[in-house]
This record gives sequence, structure tokens and C-alpha cells, in this order.
Amino acid sequence: MKSLFLRSALFITIILFPAWGMNGNGQSRDSSPSAAGTDTAQSSSTSISIPGPLHSFLRMAAISQQVSEDEVVPLLAHNVAIEGYTYDRKGRRPDPTEYLTLLKDYVKQARELVELAGPLQVIRISSCDQAGPLLKTLGYELASPCGPDTYLATSDPERAFLTDDSGFPLTALEETLRGGEPFEYGFGTFKVPVMFSQGDWKALDPNKKDDLLDAILSDARVARLYWAMARIDRNTREFLRKSPGLKTLLPFSAALDFYGSQITIQSGHILVPGGRSAEAAWAQMAGASPGTPDQFVTHLLAKDEGWLAAYFDGLSRVDSAQQAYLTQPHNLESFYKALVGNSSSPGPARPVFRPDAGLLLLASGIELDASGKPQIPGGLAPWKQVLQDLQQQDHSRLVREWSGRATGWTTPEQLLESMFAFSRLNLDDGPLQAYLSVNAIDRTCSSRTRLAPDTVRLLATNFKKFGDQYLTFSEFPLNNTSITRFIRAAETIDGIHDRNLRSDSLGIFQANIGLWKILARQGEIPESSWDKSWQAVIKPFLGIRSSERLYDAARSSIRELFQASSGKPTISQSEVIDLLAGPEQTSPEGRQVRMELANKIRMMMSAQRLVSLDTLFELGDGLNQMSKGESPSARLIPLAAQLRQFQLPKPLFTRGERAEWSMGLYMNQHLQSEMQTSVPKIIKTRPSADKIRAARGELVPFLRDTLVGLNYAYYEPPGAQMIYHNALFVRSHDFSGASSMEEDRSWKSPDLFGRGLSAGGGAHLVGSLTNLPYVLARVEENFIVPNNVQSLIWEDMVPTLLTGAVLPRWWNVTRNELHAVTLYQRFGEELVKAAGTNPQLRQRVMDIFSNRMLPIRFEQVERELSDGRSSAALAQLTPADTFHLAAEFRKKYPLADPEGGEAKKELDQLAQRFPNQLSWERLSVDFGVPHPAFGATDARSLVNMKPFPTYLGYSSRLLAESWESNNLYWARLADEKGYPPVMLNLLVPQLTYRMVENIAATYLADWAALLRSLRTTGEEFQQGKLSSLPGPVSSAGL
Amino acid sequence: MGQRYFLLAMFSIGTLIGLAVPAPAQNPGSDVTIVHITVNMVQLDVAVTDKKGRYVTGLGPENFEVYEDGIREKIAAFGEENGAPRSVHYSGPGGKVPQLGKYVVDSPPGANLVAASSPGASVFVLFDTSNYMYRGFALARDAIAQFVRSLDRTDRVAFYSYSRDFFRASPLNDKPTQVLQAVRSTVAGDDAALYNALLWTLKDADKFSGRRVIVVFSNGPDDASMVSPEDVRELAQSEGIPIYMISTREAERDPLSTAVFKRISTSTGGKAYFAGHWQDQEKAFASIRADLAHLYTISYYPAPNPNNGWRKITVDVKKGKGPKKYSIRTRTGYRPRVLPETTEAIPMNVAPLPSNAGRK
Repeated sequence: MKSLFLRSALFITIILFPAWGMNGNGQSRDSSPSAAGTDTAQSSSTSISIPGPLHSFLRMAAISQQVSEDEVVPLLAHNVAIEGYTYDRKGRRPDPTEYLTLLKDYVKQARELVELAGPLQVIRISSCDQAGPLLKTLGYELASPCGPDTYLATSDPERAFLTDDSGFPLTALEETLRGGEPFEYGFGTFKVPVMFSQGDWKALDPNKKDDLLDAILSDARVARLYWAMARIDRNTREFLRKSPGLKTLLPFSAALDFYGSQITIQSGHILVPGGRSAEAAWAQMAGASPGTPDQFVTHLLAKDEGWLAAYFDGLSRVDSAQQAYLTQPHNLESFYKALVGNSSSPGPARPVFRPDAGLLLLASGIELDASGKPQIPGGLAPWKQVLQDLQQQDHSRLVREWSGRATGWTTPEQLLESMFAFSRLNLDDGPLQAYLSVNAIDRTCSSRTRLAPDTVRLLATNFKKFGDQYLTFSEFPLNNTSITRFIRAAETIDGIHDRNLRSDSLGIFQANIGLWKILARQGEIPESSWDKSWQAVIKPFLGIRSSERLYDAARSSIRELFQASSGKPTISQSEVIDLLAGPEQTSPEGRQVRMELANKIRMMMSAQRLVSLDTLFELGDGLNQMSKGESPSARLIPLAAQLRQFQLPKPLFTRGERAEWSMGLYMNQHLQSEMQTSVPKIIKTRPSADKIRAARGELVPFLRDTLVGLNYAYYEPPGAQMIYHNALFVRSHDFSGASSMEEDRSWKSPDLFGRGLSAGGGAHLVGSLTNLPYVLARVEENFIVPNNVQSLIWEDMVPTLLTGAVLPRWWNVTRNELHAVTLYQRFGEELVKAAGTNPQLRQRVMDIFSNRMLPIRFEQVERELSDGRSSAALAQLTPADTFHLAAEFRKKYPLADPEGGEAKKELDQLAQRFPNQLSWERLSVDFGVPHPAFGATDARSLVNMKPFPTYLGYSSRLLAESWESNNLYWARLADEKGYPPVMLNLLVPQLTYRMVENIAATYLADWAALLRSLRTTGEEFQQGKLSSLPGPVSSAGL
Repeated sequence: MGQRYFLLAMFSIGTLIGLAVPAPAQNPGSDVTIVHITVNMVQLDVAVTDKKGRYVTGLGPENFEVYEDGIREKIAAFGEENGAPRSVHYSGPGGKVPQLGKYVVDSPPGANLVAASSPGASVFVLFDTSNYMYRGFALARDAIAQFVRSLDRTDRVAFYSYSRDFFRASPLNDKPTQVLQAVRSTVAGDDAALYNALLWTLKDADKFSGRRVIVVFSNGPDDASMVSPEDVRELAQSEGIPIYMISTREAERDPLSTAVFKRISTSTGGKAYFAGHWQDQEKAFASIRADLAHLYTISYYPAPNPNNGWRKITVDVKKGKGPKKYSIRTRTGYRPRVLPETTEAIPMNVAPLPSNAGRK
């Protein structure tokens, strides 16, 4: 199962700098009395009054301080709906959380303070003796009589908690009480805009609250409906307000929240996936015509507990060709029938995450051939067999049912029907995931040879065990033989009975594969020899029987690896590290960057006290010679002593305590075997030849650590706190899964284990080395210190962003390419600026944006442009938006020259001179990011798609993969600052890390917060505030 | 073997005097990278108490004997209570009589450090904001505020908080009002990653010289750290930073936390307090304040020692002629660390100190 990210936080902490919002007089800068004076909320009012300073309210409501006033009520509604309640298993019986209780208490206290502030809305205390009523409301009292030494002490802890938490300037008040300047603090009401009018919302509240604020705080459904409507474009939501009306929509607020953002009404019609030609089919499905939007929407939301709405939403997000195929009348109905099956329960609109990511991944992953038919990897035949194979492995009712049908399949659609059905299974290694993964591999192979039916079957039937390893095949187009041999080698290793031998084999095998991937990705293993070198690297692992054999296999595999990458079978560890750091460079800056990266790897290997390959190989050779009767070299004894150089930290616990408090999981057999190595003794005592030969097997655990350590060091994001502060981090990697109490994770993506287990020796990874960059980023995110404390957006978003910065390297990027990335973004901006005054161009621009924007943002950008506010429109666009806009515009309108922009001219000239360097395919690979969750591949690419929502099992991971703006923006900054392209290898990880520190988000899908932090980081960089970055290098001419 | 790479351990231990900056060097004409060794002065903060637990004051360098792995060390600088440390010279027969010399010179300009000669201490307060009951939270803030108010005027204070994340609410400074504002602005959080937060605090404290202590106010067991308490303890010992732990009843109920808190504080030269009630918390803070006011600071350059692993430190006090039993509290040892020149990414969240910090 993928990690289900449910926020453990009852409180979302947004800590302000102490002096936030205060001027020198203790006056809040944003809390001046509202222009309207005391608010008299009318039903027709389009604003609501927030008691107290806005920053205090945002703080208590867990809303980012960086949001605009327009966003306050929608985000409040979101937080109340999502964070304010816990539910029973069926998603019913909302029970208020501490978050909501505190927020309500704060509002009550703030209203009391507004009363105290009076009509001028200022709390004014001139002397100590006036402070009594205020202090009582705040929950404080004087610790001693008024005078220069007095200070405040808590009298009512609950009130005092709210006072401090909301950021009341208590220290300024304390100064006044000691005889300082009079205390003045603006404490009025703050007006923020409301969608529709207060009356519309208050009518929904059965408790007849006086204020929308109270209605949102007291009714989860009202809060959720408000949040849902706020993400629907303005025209559509206005239409829906009138008909069917908020009251009718209220029972469907959850479905509307999850699946309503794609609903758009234009000219009295619902825009349905597939367009006009699909309207009839949708009408039949929903039982209402898209021409009667009110009826269509209520039917859509109500049908099958919301499944039709989920289907509508999923299909709305895929491209037009896929929509056309999926909405062919028969397909639309049969796929939906398969999706819903015999039971619509559980529905798709239960809190807190959308459940069916598979539906969207399947729909967007369908590849169509020239005739518009779906391409099935290997054809139908292997899949029929796979389904029958699965029947043996998986006894779920759904799998049994569809396996039975498979024998009669004659069309690809029948296979797809089963996949729609399987999308309901909440699994990460189910049949749908197998299909998507094999599909991704087949797509990668398509440039050479497609997957053979036998390979498809082999991959699909082994998916449950080895599926996470398939990321290699979807990144590197290896042939059928290479894939098959990998599975055979993996099966052989998996069958080893000796636990330690199996663990070491797993570790060395996967480490060598990891090194092969790095070298292949960096072009140091030429593409023409990928298959040959791959097969040579894995072949030695086909017959492991003992540690000595494993030692030989490992060396043989390493020899093949470096033969393929350096042309030499034997190279030193220093040369290995140089190879990993990057391909050899000719420019001074290239050599400098490569050396810095190599030194970083060396420091990490040293911090982990890993024995060098040179030592391990020399010891192995020496033991081999000794076993043949030769005298040991004098060098062997000091070399063997290096095996014992690492030390465990001084124990803090007794053995008994450790056993009791670490649940027995601290016992690390791998470490124990290293601590007890007899190699030094054997070299000194020279026992029998057999014993000496066997001693080479004792080198295996050390060899494993060194090879694994090289992988870790390569992928470590900036910081690398665990590497530098837990000397056993690499050694603790558990390949056997002994420390995991769940399933066997030997071939799965590694999981984090031991976090928060104080007697467990620190966190470590359990599982294979696939997905290592992501998991190391997950480790590191725990150490990132946010500038604005908020833990949202972190859990899955941050590792994805960091992986996108660490996994790609930029050794082969030319200055022309780098500059082109800038020009694309500038050209996109030129287009947007011109679209503000040119209606025809605006139509074209918006047409392109319609493929990558949700209706609400589309409408906002279009409105800004229609009103001639190009700058406001640009402020909403990400670097990826402008980049894709320019790229698509050049494709669609190659001859158009809107307004004669400079960037367009320069781009055209550059593209004409260097067509290969500026090809879309090349830019996409060089500046794209991996999409392992969305596309089942680590291959880098740029995908023009709408942002994904959060999903159960993925949290914000899909959303993060659809972001794609970072590398494009950092490249532009580097270009504008005159950095050479190789410098991106240092800049991108550091800038991304800094961007993460700057994120101040309110909720998991807070796209706007990402954009803000990106821009803030860019400004810091441009202003030279990021001191540890290398200085710019003067730019040579293009 | 092809190119050779030498990585030599960089020691970074305690207060730096006569600072030598480690610098990786590129050997001209080759790819060999050499990281130079820098051995720094070891600083010990020593509390001496008599049988009744009263602080013993008025001792001089001649009263102390310091051993590292049994090797007698030569005291290079000595300070008492909140006074600035002074250099120690040896004279008399055989050069064995220690004498207090001048006040220790400042660190080199640009070192971004508080001068070693600064009186007072750099106090890093680390406040647990995880899963608090409201009553305890407000009262704990009161106790910390009172502690800050009552510190010596020469002390500098940083105020950090942690739950799952770490937050530098107020960087090290000598302005109590700023720190109090930070204390009053802290908000409650969720999980507790104490050891991660301690790691950051130690790394921050290591950027400053002079006497540094960490005071942790913990509400309960750690449930979210990635690093182990052993690793954090070793770092504190290597840096020579005592850790004082004040815990609420929640932590005391957890035997694991109790054991860890006691052992970390003892082995770094600090103390652990379990204070269920807010009045006990105030007493604990008062005790720490008293400790800070009575510590001796002893510095020495380690004598040649082939041991690159754990080095045991022993301190003896000799006063008067008769045998007197004193309790000595200081760190029990340290392990020289292997660290890169910098492990930091870009963030520089620790604001530079005002130019007059620590020079009152």
C-alpha cells in the first residue's frame, strides 16, 4: 500500500515572526477599524466581519498569512470541512476536532475584545490600574502590584492559551503595565469578501446563526459546500446558485467538493467530456440533459453515490483524443458500468481523500494508435492469460469475476473494462497498476522494439513481487531479453534461503543496478551498449550459493559495470566516484562542478565510515593469494584493520532496556556480522586454505555497504542530515525486511522505519533501492526548517519536488538550450501581454490554456485578459504555463508573429540555427521531471496537463508531479544570471531546497503557495541573498 | 591504485581559541583533495558541589586536574562563574604552577562568533509545543518567560520551538524583550521530534564560542525524530554543550524518556528535572540559573592521543590539604567528529549577532 497521508495534526501551526503586524507602538498594521464601523451584517452583505486582527484570525484558522482577502473565507471553509471534524468509518457522525473547538473559542474571545475596544476599535491602556478588565479577558493577571518590576502571569490557562496563540502583543502590554508608553492596539472587525451574499448561506443553516462565520463554524456541510462552490468558475456557480440552488446542492457538498471543479456551464449548457457529440451519451447516463444544467448537475452528483461525478471529473482531465475515445457512446457506458460494478458502495465522496486515482491514471494513460484504437502492450492474448494467472494469486471477488470473463475477450475495450473495474481496488500492486506499469514500459520500448507477449505476461504476473523494480524498464528501453534476465536473476536471489546471504545479495545486486542506472542516465554507458552491459552486470548473480561466491559475483558485476562506462575493468574508488559525479568535463566550470559533486560523495562515504572498494578488493586478492599458499603482503594487516574502524555510538541503553523499548528491532544481524569479522585474525593466524578462501565471504557485508553508500551519496538531497549525523544510516538499510512487521519489502520501494523509536538507533530504510531519491528526500524533509512553520504540503509534495531536482543532471545541456528555456518563458509572457489587447490572440492563448488549467483559473485568467489586465493574468501563471503556451503556440501557429515580440524573434532565430538542441523532445527530457506516480516512470519529461488533485494513497504526489515549473524557472534564472548550464547541477537542488523552506501553504493542493515560494526564492537568488551559491560566471557568446 | 584521496578527520570541539579554519585544498597539478586537520581547544563547563549540594566557589586552575583517556592535560584558559575566561601560564619550579593571565583574546574578525572572552553564557531554550494541554502550555510559557527575565545581564538567549518541525523563533541575542515576545508567540503543534530539534540547536550553538548551554522544556516522549538520542548525545559531547532537560509529568511517566533525559543531561554536564507542576518548573529553571552562575570554564589543547574514537574525560578537584569529597559535573568524554566543511544548504536562518553582543 502506498502511504496514506492523513494529517496527524489537530492543529496546523503557522508561527509568525514575533513582531509580525506590529508597528513601534504595538499597533496592528492591519487592524485599523473597518470603514463601516461596527458591522451590522445584513443578509444582502457581500462581506463578513472577522473579529480581531486578520493575522490573528488566519493564525487560529490555520490559513497562510500570505493569502489575499478574497481567499480567507474559502480557505476557512476548507479547513473547517477537512480539519474540523472526525468521522466514523462510513464518513458520518462528524465530531469536532480540537482545531475547530479552539477556533470557535478564539472567535468568542475576539468578540469580547472587540466589545472592550469600543466604537473606535482600539484597545487603549494608559496605566496599570486600568488593565483589569482586559487582563481578565486575556486570561492573565499581574504577578505583583503595579510597578516597574511587575509582569503578567496566567490566571485562566484556556484564555491565556488563545491570547498567546493568536499573537496578542502581550509583551508590549507588559511594558505599559510597568509604567511605559500607553498601550494601543487596534482591535476591530475586519471585513472579507463573501461569495454570493450572507443571506444565501445563512438560509442553509438550520441553527439560524446570525453570521456566515458562525454558519461555517457550526455546520460541516455548509463549510464544504462553500469550499466546493469557491472552486467553480464564477458564471457556473452563479447559475447553480439560482438553480438548483444551494439548498438542493447541500446534501451533495462532498461530491461537489471532490468532483465539481470540472463542471462548467456555458450558454446554458454543461460542457461535457467529449464535447457536443458526447452530450446524448452523457444525458442517457445521467438521466438529464446537459442542456438543463440544474437537473444534469443534481443527477450527476446523486447517481451511484457520486460515482458518475467522479467519472465525469476523471474524463474531463484527459486530453481531447482520449476524451473522444472514452466518450464514444458504447465505451462511455460500458466503462462506467464496469467501474460501478454491482455496488456503488463505498461511494467516492467520503472524507478525506478522493479514493479512485486509478480511474484518472487509466484514462490518461490510454495510448491510441493512428486509427484511434487503444494500444494494448503485447496484444490481448497475454492479458487474458495474466488475468487467469492472477486468479491463482488473488482471491478477491472482483478479480475472480473479471478473470472468468477474460477468456472470451475479443476487443481491447473488454480489457479496459476490467481495468476500470480494478481501479476501485485500493491497491498499489493490483492488476490495474500492473497494466499501467507494463504500458509505460511498452511506451518506452516503442522507439526500438515493443514488448513481446511473453515478456508482457512475465512482467504482469510478477508485478506483485517485482513491480517496483520496473521503473528501470520504463526509463531505459531495454530489450525483451534484458528484461527477462532481470526477472530470472531476481527470482534466483529471492530463492536464497540463508537470510544474511539473501540480504547481502539483494543489497549488492540492487546497488550495482542503481550504479548502472546512474551511469546510463548520465550517458557514461552509451545507449548502444545498454542491453549488453545490463545483461553483463546482472548475469553473475544467477548462481549465488555462498558468501564467497557472492563476493566473486559482486566483483565480476562491478568489473562489467566499469568496463562499460570507463573502458577499464578495474578502477579505483576515487575513479568510481569521479564517474558517478558526472561525465568528464572539458570546461573549467564543468571540471569545478564535477569535482564539487565528487567531493560531496567522498565526504558522505567518509562520514559513514565505509570501507573503500580499493581496500576490499585488495583484501580479497590478498586472501585469494594466501589460500594458494603465498605469504600475505605486509599491507594486508593494516588494510584489514580498516574493517573495524567504524564504531557504534556509545550506548545509552542497557541490553535489557533496548530489547524492551525497541521492540526487539534494534538487533541488526548485518551490523553484528561486521563487528565480529575475523578477517584481521585470519590474516595474522593463516589457518587452512579453505578457511582463508571462506574469509573472503566476510568482506561481503562491507562491500554491500560501500556499494549501497555510493547510491545514497549520489541521491542525497542538500542537507543530508542523516548521512552526517547517523554513522550507521547506510549500514542499517534493511534489505531483508527483518525490521518491518508487514509484508516482505525486499523488492519494494524502501520504506522509512524507526522514526520516533528512541531506542531503535535512528530511522533507516527497509526495502530495495528502487525509488531511492524519493525516499532519501522523505528522510531529509524531516530536517527542513520552514520559514513559516506549517507542516502541510510536506509529506508527499516535498520529496517529489526534491526528487525532481536531484535525479536529473544537466551535463549535456548547451547554452543554447538553457537560453531557449528562458526565451520560451519570455515568449509566453509576451503572448499573454499582447492577449490583453488583442481579442483574436486572446482566443488562441486561452484555447491553449484550456488544456492545462482548471475552469476556475481559466476563467480568472480570461477575465483579467478581457479587462486588459495582462499583468494580473501573468501573476497567476506558472513558469510551466508560459513555457507550454509558447511551445504550443509555435506548434499551432508557426507563422503568427503577435506584436513582434523580441523573445519570439530570438527564439525563432535560435531554433533555425540549432534545431536539434531546441527540439521539444530534447527540452522535455533535459528540463522535465520524473513522473513515477503519474506515468510509472523515472524518465524525465514535460507533460502538458491540468494539475491533479490529491488522492487517497497518493496524497499530493500526483499534484506535485504535475507542477513541473521548478527546473524551468531555475534554468531561466541561471541563464539570466550568466551561469553556464553545468552549474544547474549545483543550483537546482539548492534552489529547490530553499523553495521548500519558503512554502507557506494552507492545504495540500495549495498551488498558489508553491508559486509564491518559487517566486520568493527567485527574488532571493536574484538579489544575491543566497550566499552559499556559487557566483555567476561570465557568459560566453551563444 | 590510481589517484589517492586523503580525508583527514576534522576536529571541531568546543570553544575555539586561535582559530584555525579547515580548508580543503586542491593539490596543484593533480586531482588529489586534501582536507587539513584542525584540532581545536576542548572546553569544559564544570560544576563543583560539596556534600550538601552547595556550589563550591573560589577555585582556581591550580585546584583542577583534567585527564583525557588518563593523559593529564594542561589547562590553557580558566574562567569562574559568569566572568570572562583568562589564559593560564605555568611558572615556578618545573613550570608547574598555573597562574591566571590576561583575558583571552577575541576570535578573529569575520568568524561570526561571539568572542571567546565574552562573559556570560549563550543559552539556547528549546520549547516543546507538541500536543499540549492548554493549561500546561500557558503555564509553561510563564515559566520560560520568568527564566528569561531572571538570567544574568551578560547572558545571551535564543528561543526555539519544536513539534514535528523545528522553528527558530528568536535567534541568539541579548535583548530579553525580543525573546519574551517569541515565547509569547509560540503556538501549539503536533508530533514531537525532540532529537531532530536538539540536533539543529546543537548545530546552531556550535557556531558560537564561549559558554553555551541548551535548556530543553519537554512535554513528553519523542515520537517523530529521525536521529537517535545516542547520536545527539555524542554531538553535544563533542561540542562541549551541556543539555539541561525540564520535563513535565507526561515524560516522567514514560520510562524510556526518563532514562534518556537523565542520561543525556548527565553525560553532557547538564541536569534533568521532572516537574509535574508549574511551580516545580519554575524551581527547575531557578536551579539551572544557579548552575549557570557557578560553573567553572576550563579549556585545554588535547595532548597527543592516538585514539580517534571515544575519549574519556575526568576532572579532579584538589583543595586544601585534607581529603574533601566534591561532586564534579561535566561532560564525560567526546568523540572527534568527521564532518564536511559545510553540511548546510542555503538557509542561514540564524541572524548575525548585533555588533555589541556579548561585550557589555
